Order: sequence, then C-alpha cells, then structure tokens
Amino acid sequence: MESNRSRNRALVSFIVLPMLFLTVALLGGLRVGAEDHAFIFIPPPLVMLLLAVLLALLFVRGHLIELPRWVASSNSPLTNFSHIWMLLTLFFASAQAFNSVLPERGLLHWLFSFFFLWTLWNNLFSRFDARRLLHSLAVLFGTAFVLKHLLLAGLYSQDRGWLQRVAGALLQGVSLGTLDTPAFAPASGYISFFTLALFVAGLFLLPFAQNREAAELAHPVVENYKKLPPSDRVIASEVILEDSTTSPRELDGILEEGRE
Amino acid sequence: MPGEVGIQMRQKSIQAVGIVLTFSYAAFIIWIYATEPRTFKEVATSAEIAAGTYQINQERFNSALALFRHEQFRAARDEWQRADPAQGDARTQFYVSYAFYREGWGRVYYDQALIKQGLEAVNRASSLTANGSLTVDDPNLQMHTVAELKAELEQARERGWSDLNPFKVLRTRK
Repeated sequence: MESNRSRNRALVSFIVLPMLFLTVALLGGLRVGAEDHAFIFIPPPLVMLLLAVLLALLFVRGHLIELPRWVASSNSPLTNFSHIWMLLTLFFASAQAFNSVLPERGLLHWLFSFFFLWTLWNNLFSRFDARRLLHSLAVLFGTAFVLKHLLLAGLYSQDRGWLQRVAGALLQGVSLGTLDTPAFAPASGYISFFTLALFVAGLFLLPFAQNREAAELAHPVVENYKKLPPSDRVIASEVILEDSTTSPRELDGILEEGRE
Repeated sequence: MPGEVGIQMRQKSIQAVGIVLTFSYAAFIIWIYATEPRTFKEVATSAEIAAGTYQINQERFNSALALFRHEQFRAARDEWQRADPAQGDARTQFYVSYAFYREGWGRVYYDQALIKQGLEAVNRASSLTANGSLTVDDPNLQMHTVAELKAELEQARERGWSDLNPFKVLRTRK
C-alpha cells in the first residue's frame, strides 16, 4: 500500500503535474481567428509574468506549496531538480492562465490587469489556507472567464444581434473608442475554459503531490483536537490560526479563560 | 530493506522519465510559439521541416515552371505557393523571386512592390541554403545563383540619376 502511495505521488508530481501545467502554458495563449479560423499564438505580456510572480508568492503564503519541503537539502539533487522544474511549469501555467482570461489589448486589458493585480496584492496580506486559496482562485479565474468570454465576446462577436450592437457601440462611445477588443471565434472560449479547468485541477492536485509526512505527523494533533469539547475547539482553532507560537502552558491558560 | 530500495529506484526512474517527457513537451511548446503555425496542416509541415523530411509537391512545381516559361508569373507563383506551402524549399523560393523580378521588370521603370517581394523571396532562398549560395541549372534563366538575382533586385530598388538615362530603354530583361 505504501509502495502504491509513493509511486502514485511520484507519478503525479514528476509527470502528471508538469504535463498538465505545460498544457496550460500551451493553450493559454492560443486563440482561433474569427474570420479564417486560423490559430493565433499570443505569448504572455510582461504584466502576466508579474501577476504570475504574485500568484506564486500567494501559493507559498497560502501553504499550497510548501517550498522548504519541495526544495530541501535532504532531498536528492534529482528530486530537487524535478521539483524546481515542476514549480517553473506552474509559474508559466499561471502566466498563461492569466493570458487566457485577460483581454488582449485596449483599455479592458489594463483594467483587468489592474483588478487582478489589486486582488492578488490584497490577498498577499490576508490570512489564507490552501483550501481557501484554491476556492478564491477558482472564483477569481471563473469571474474573469465569464467577463471576457461570455460578456465581452458577446458584445464584439461577428454574428451579434441589434441589441448587442447597440450595447457595443454605446460602450465604445463611453470609453472614447479605447475598448479595442479583438474578436475571436467561439472556439477560443472553449479552449480557455479547458485551459482554466486544467489549471484549477492541477492546483487541486498540488497538495496530493507533496510529501504527506507533515500530514501524518499532524494526525495525532488532529485526533486530540477532535476530543475537545466544542467551546474549546473554537478557542484552540483561533490560537492555531494565529501565527505566533503558543506554549502548552499558555494554551492551557487560554482554554481556562475560555471556559470561565 | 530491499522494499525501500525498490521504491526509491522506482521513484528515480519515474523522475528521469518525467524529466525527459516534460522537457520534450516544453521544447515542442517553445517551437510552436516560435513558428506560430496557423493550421494543423502547418503544424505538420513545420514538424517535417524541423525533422528534415519536408518535400515539396513536385507535380505542382513542374506545372508552375511551365506557367513561368509561358510568362504567366502570377499563376506560376500561386502554383509554387501550393507546391511549397511552408516556404521551406530554397529552389522554389528562388523561382518565386525570379517570377517577381520578371513581372516587375519594365523597360522604363520597375514595379517596386513586386521587386520588394522578389527581394524577400530571394532572401528566404538564401537563408534556406547552408552557406547562403544556391545554383539553379536552368538554361531558360539568365541568372543562376541567388547572389546574381539578389544583386539585380537590389539594383532595381535603387533610385539615382542614372534612371534618367534614355539609353536605359535598351536594356534587356534577364
């Protein structure tokens, strides 16, 4: 059983995840032309790399990537190399995931970039655990996808109705013609959806790929936590969520206060 | 602990396979973004060029050559485009350039747009050969090398006082 677990973990972290993230890197910049249905490859602009750096910091801060465990002196050089390579593929996948949901040019490109930048920057100072971070990212990318590929694509598509034409013209007028969004074939939306699904799936797989030693060590702690009465659980979880280290004696004192 | 050693060995082999697979995939992605193919067919053609197995459509090439000899330069260029869709064959690009030259040549003036395209095609032909030189043994042509054709096209692009020379109308097309 242990053998299967370690083999599956190795397969995920050394083959499945890098391949998945590289596929995201490939498809994230792929669009299909509206007129001739030709492939258009858009490499990530500089701002996407900046967003990817912020996202990488968020992964580390949200403990989705336990960096000291991924790259450690106790690991073999090959393992460290493989892990660094996997993290690199994650970085490029992040950049291309942003590329996939951000408008290609015009005012909206900068507006979207600014909102992403703002959200990620704020998140850096928020308290996150891996699960919350994943949910937050899924919602963030989902919202951007809906805005770009459903709302904007509808306004600027080739075969739009009169209401969409009026709305598009109004939007262009209000923005003084700065909403210069290129129109792509509907296939671009499907590719983007598939890309984001792969990216989010890869992120959900990340914790599985990490060494579960820590989780196994944490197991008795969790078992003891479950034995606590509900009121003590609340206090204990509050203490655990605080970043400061609390000694057992201090913890006893806090629990006593809570009971009183 | 033979079991643990076995697990470690298996992990190492998975790592090695993973590195080889993912590096090849990453190289493929970089290549795709560098070449920017527009269709799946172009992906296949670019792959053939990269693998060194690319071949032009010889039938189309011959029919284009026949059109070229009948002075139907545009039709000839279209056929050559179909014969060499990836623009990866030096000889075909040489002929395409020659067709641009002959069509752009005029007794009084050169059609600069065509001459410019001819220059682009001859540059492509030059870059496709190993040392930048190519010789085409065709008795119907008066220029047989990339260098000759390029020099002629560059000369046609130049503007100077000699353009006003009335004896220029006596020059002949190569």
